[in-house]
Amino acid sequence: MDADTGIGGPQNRFPETRRSAIIDLRSPDTRSREYALETLIAAYWKPVYKYIRVRWNQSNENAKDLTQTFFARALEKEFFHGYDPAKARFRTYLRVCLDGFLANENKAASRIKRGGDADVVSLHFDDAEEEFRLREIASTEATPEEYFHREWVRNLFTLATEDVKRECKERDQRIQYDVFERYDLNDSAGRPSYNALAAELGITAAAVTNYLAAMRRRFRDRILTRIRETTGSEQEFRDEVRAALGVEV
Amino acid sequence: MNRPVFGLLLGGFLGIFDGLTAWFTPAARAGLLGIVIGSTIKGIITGVCIGYFAKKVHSLGLGIMFGLAVGMFLAFLVALMQHGYYFEIMLPGSLLGAIVGFATQRYKAEAAA
Amino acid sequence: MESLPDAVIGHMREVVTEPDFSGSPYRLIGEIGRGGMGVVYLGLDTRLGRRLALKVLRIIDADGQAAERMAEEARILASLEHPGIVPIHDLGTLPDGRIFYAMKFVEGTRLDRYAHGDPLLADRLRVFLRICETVSFAHSQGVIHRDLKPANIMVGQFGEVLVLDWGVAKVTGKAHEPSLTAGTPGYMAPEQVAGATDQLDARSDVYSLGKTLEALLVTYTGQIPKRLQAIWKKASSADRGARYATVLDLAREIERFQIGDRVLAYRETIGERVGRLATRNRTLVLLVAAYLAMRIVLFFLTKP
Repeated sequence: MDADTGIGGPQNRFPETRRSAIIDLRSPDTRSREYALETLIAAYWKPVYKYIRVRWNQSNENAKDLTQTFFARALEKEFFHGYDPAKARFRTYLRVCLDGFLANENKAASRIKRGGDADVVSLHFDDAEEEFRLREIASTEATPEEYFHREWVRNLFTLATEDVKRECKERDQRIQYDVFERYDLNDSAGRPSYNALAAELGITAAAVTNYLAAMRRRFRDRILTRIRETTGSEQEFRDEVRAALGVEV
Repeated sequence: MNRPVFGLLLGGFLGIFDGLTAWFTPAARAGLLGIVIGSTIKGIITGVCIGYFAKKVHSLGLGIMFGLAVGMFLAFLVALMQHGYYFEIMLPGSLLGAIVGFATQRYKAEAAA
Repeated sequence: MESLPDAVIGHMREVVTEPDFSGSPYRLIGEIGRGGMGVVYLGLDTRLGRRLALKVLRIIDADGQAAERMAEEARILASLEHPGIVPIHDLGTLPDGRIFYAMKFVEGTRLDRYAHGDPLLADRLRVFLRICETVSFAHSQGVIHRDLKPANIMVGQFGEVLVLDWGVAKVTGKAHEPSLTAGTPGYMAPEQVAGATDQLDARSDVYSLGKTLEALLVTYTGQIPKRLQAIWKKASSADRGARYATVLDLAREIERFQIGDRVLAYRETIGERVGRLATRNRTLVLLVAAYLAMRIVLFFLTKP
């Protein structure tokens, strides 16, 4: 039986129901709240950092500080509790909160002390900065909003890929992941043909086709799960999927 | 009603009407009754002929032309009897014949009882 | 892990949403369009070497409702055999659980684009009559379309007219009806907008056809006869009772217009009636006019 369907249930249902982190922010259980915030931070810290660099023209160091402060403040002051899914998407709401926060910081013109246990999640700013430098040139045409959106999508896809990688490792599906990595995660210049890849990995071309299909299915499920986590309503979920994948759901 | 009968009635009706137009010519006003009767009879005869033609030949163009010809011919005979007025009699006669020809071709005769 | 570059993201977006037809006799060529419930792709039947259209359910279906709806759509299409309705070839399930059906691939122009191509009035009416024939047939089989509009009608390359997207069609008399506020604003009958989906009948389609006729004719560069305007207004009356009772009635009305007969929707003035009859019987009017003209001429010629 195909390991991919091992979890059970028809393919088009979620294997697990992930609760929405947005909803969990207001959970009475502390652990749930913390986990919820972790999820949101994981989804948004990179786009936030890059956004601060571009939109607010902050230096590397300042942006780092501000990102961490923002999320700390968000937890402390419960920024996200005022969010109403009926009014706007969470992503937009967060960006607006961020803009508000940064405007205040600007006015104060000083870096505010971080509050207590701010580092809920360890953030690898150096990586983010590196990527930022690489992409800065390409992003000059986009408006800040579009930029934030793009980075959010990028972060989302990257996280989903990590999920797929982790899952493959757990299930000892080394070859499957190799196929996925060599084909889909390659840019078009380096992408091999099915036959070449099959030869390289010592499998049939048919196996390549099947593995790719399975990996893509898994990747898709991961994307949808992650989006579901960071949206607060069915409608918002649909909108965000459309925004991320460019299709209707 | 079949086409010859329709032609008869239409021809007669138009004949009456055409005859009555003679009223506008003061000179002819005196013999108006005679003119009308004559015109009606001419109309009836041409109508029957044209109607019969329409029964046998189903073509709008031919029907009109046949009507024109018959109308002109009978009008010619009438003009002969009148010793004149060829133009004034034959021209209307032709046109009326054409009208009856058109009508009998277009007329949807009911199936014979 | 390092963030993915733009190229990979673009690529992933495409492949992730593309349906996987491996294991079926069909091969995907490209996307043609998107409907309410699914995406339509151009595909190839590898057994026959023939192109066809593949309609695939959209990505997520949380409760199976959409899948059932789509299977229902396929069954409805399969039950309606008519030159104006796309023949359906196959119904199946993809490896990822999505439902799809395969149907004939139609090459042609959508009605809205057709109307802008400046066809003759007579041609537009001819096309419209074909649409009426098709819908009328469906009605006779107990199927109401419920989403008729120019975007759902195709004029094929051979002049054939096809009514597409029966995705929200309703089979009358069926007990269970998935409740959907189906239809498109602007073409939806008022009772449809109000959500009374179980009370819909043929007249809702008549309404949509009226609106479609209007859309089909307004792009005409010449004068649109008042009688035609009256016809589409009657068909798309807000009050159900004021519309034509059946699509056939609407079609007959158009035919009456075409032969120059009186039209039920329009009350003519005497002048208009005379004008219409005169146009219809041009030859006769000409002959009579010639006679009268000649009479007058003769009168003046023979005056002493």
